Amino acid sequence: MVEQVNSFAIKTKNVSVHYGNKMAIDDVTINFTKNDVTSLIGPSGCGKSTFLRCLNRMNDVIESCKVQGEFLLNGVTDIYGDSIQVETLREKIGMVFQKPNPFPKSIFENVAYGPKIHGLASTQSELNDIVMESLNRAGLYEEVKDRMDDIATGLSGGQQQRLCIARAIAIRPEIILMDEPCSALDPIATARIEELINELKEKYTIIIVTHSMSQASRISQRTAFFHLGKLIEHGDTSKIFTKPDKEQTNDYITGRFG
Amino acid sequence: MIYFALLILVIISYLFYFVGKKRALNLKFNGNIKLSSQPDYFGYYVVLMALIPALLMWFGLLLFKGNFQEMFVMSPILFPDISTWSDGKLGLILNKLNNLSVIVNLPLDDLTNGEKSILNMASENELTAAKKLANFDKIYGWSNLTLFIIFPIILGFLATRSISGKLNAQPIVEKIITYIIKGSSYIAILITIGIFLSLVFEAINFFRYVNPVDFFFSTGWNPNRAFVVDASEGFDKDDLENAFGFIPLLTGTLLIATVAMIVAIPLGLMSAIYLAEYASKRVRDIAKPIIEILAGIPTVVYGFFAALSLAPFIKDVGESVGLPVSAESALAAGLAMGVMIIPFVSSLSDDVIKAVPQSLRDGSYALGATRSETIKKVILPAALAGIMGSFLLAVSRAIGETMIVVMAASLRANLTFNPLEPATTITTQIVTSLIGDVEFDNPKTLVAFALGLTLFLMTLLLNILAITIVKKYREKYE
Repeated sequence: MVEQVNSFAIKTKNVSVHYGNKMAIDDVTINFTKNDVTSLIGPSGCGKSTFLRCLNRMNDVIESCKVQGEFLLNGVTDIYGDSIQVETLREKIGMVFQKPNPFPKSIFENVAYGPKIHGLASTQSELNDIVMESLNRAGLYEEVKDRMDDIATGLSGGQQQRLCIARAIAIRPEIILMDEPCSALDPIATARIEELINELKEKYTIIIVTHSMSQASRISQRTAFFHLGKLIEHGDTSKIFTKPDKEQTNDYITGRFG
Repeated sequence: MIYFALLILVIISYLFYFVGKKRALNLKFNGNIKLSSQPDYFGYYVVLMALIPALLMWFGLLLFKGNFQEMFVMSPILFPDISTWSDGKLGLILNKLNNLSVIVNLPLDDLTNGEKSILNMASENELTAAKKLANFDKIYGWSNLTLFIIFPIILGFLATRSISGKLNAQPIVEKIITYIIKGSSYIAILITIGIFLSLVFEAINFFRYVNPVDFFFSTGWNPNRAFVVDASEGFDKDDLENAFGFIPLLTGTLLIATVAMIVAIPLGLMSAIYLAEYASKRVRDIAKPIIEILAGIPTVVYGFFAALSLAPFIKDVGESVGLPVSAESALAAGLAMGVMIIPFVSSLSDDVIKAVPQSLRDGSYALGATRSETIKKVILPAALAGIMGSFLLAVSRAIGETMIVVMAASLRANLTFNPLEPATTITTQIVTSLIGDVEFDNPKTLVAFALGLTLFLMTLLLNILAITIVKKYREKYE
């Protein structure tokens, strides 16, 4: 029993989200297994990004947004509960956005930003180690090691996105949320990120929103299909893409709508 | 007469637009001719062809009206000694004749006593010339009117006739319009250059009396010394040595501007941060315009607020703790000025902070940063250049401010850095040097131009600095 509880990184139950009077998510229940890559797919406006942003409470700042339902981190911690501060939560659940958003600071400062805030390094050399390790793991270190003090916005789009991934893993999260991380990138940069995601799943649980079904089938072990704010189907990627249970899923996969 | 003519010109061009367009459409549908431009452009083409030559000629006539008048009336027969007159005298006489020509043909009963005495004082030859001038004006007016009606009609008619399948009106119209808008921007630039040059030339005049080294580096400001000497007799250089020292004005200006910035920077920046990052949309929509009203209050109102409320209050408070405060203190003027420029800082900084992309905030929040960490470590550094730009614009506004200082600070130059003492500024001294009955070639008057030039260069430098910084910031996210 304990084994089963711990195998889920995040459990959610009966989640509904409203923007004002408009319903964006309608009664979604889904659990994310540890050290897996889970893809959230579905047509535009189906609520997959909204759902993803609920998981690290990024919707808190949107005034009209109201989130209901149960969210449990590691089966025990209530994500929306009083026992956890939102900053501590985000230390555990990192996020990478659709458009690369490096700070207009140096490459080093970008990666060091999170560790500095959370006090993860007591000395400068520890900080250097964290930055180096994170860049290494994001597959960027070799490309930038000679220009750590250059401004990060001067990097290419693909490099910027990998820098954002390095920045996210520098605070040693357990879970990384990715909101269409490759949609602004060219195919070569996309391939690098996909490769990276594949490596990262050894250490992290990854939940990724994607528009590309081929990407979902390439990188993820589990896939969840959203439509009109509802979770239509959730299961192993191989099953969803070969013989889904629901006709709607089949229609979307085969390109009949969406 | 001229307004009537202009009105007719407008009506004619309006009609010609339709004539040209109609003709083009006729060719297209009834003549089955393929046009090379849109029908509208043929309308514009006819209007421009009819209008521009007429306007150019009108402008030419206006420009050379004086010359024509001179040719017409200033003959050696009426004025035998005309060849000995200077240009200035010629202009004066022509002016006098112009005034006379208005009344010379009126019946005596319609004239006021003043006008009658002007007529009586004029010589016989002058009256003859004035009558000729009146005739000239009549002819001139009628020729203007003809020019505005007959000429455009003929040209417009010709332009309409020239519309055919071969005529490509669009590039012609676009070229003319380009010239017109280009001309407008050059006019603005030329006026700026003109103002600058007039400052420079008068300043050079001033520096003929006063050594520039004395002006820029000496510490005594007593312009009235120049007043007691008669300009026509020339000045003893020694008399003026310590009369026009710029330094106390500079320190006064900087002192008051510093006080103003000490008020405006923290208040403005903090309210900008509140408005941009903390306030709800409703609060922001209400609060921002109210703060901006501060910039719209006439400076003279700040002036008497500073002089009548603030200064006595500061004096009372100062005296109650044993500090000697003068009734007109740099502090009072600086405080009022600081309040005035709060919106320059807050409004511009607010815009700059708002312009920092939301994605940077999201990125910081997603890393577990709090709101204040995000503001301090991401948003303010990203917006820093723009915020600096807003400070510099506010400073240049503070340095150029006049009215508050005239009313609340002092007219007496005082080399001090103590804000509790009176001080005066460059702008205030420009005002005082230009009012009063001093001849124009007296250094006491001319110093205004030297001060104006210096001030202009100071604020220009600040503005260039501000614009450069703001520009640099803009490129950052692209």
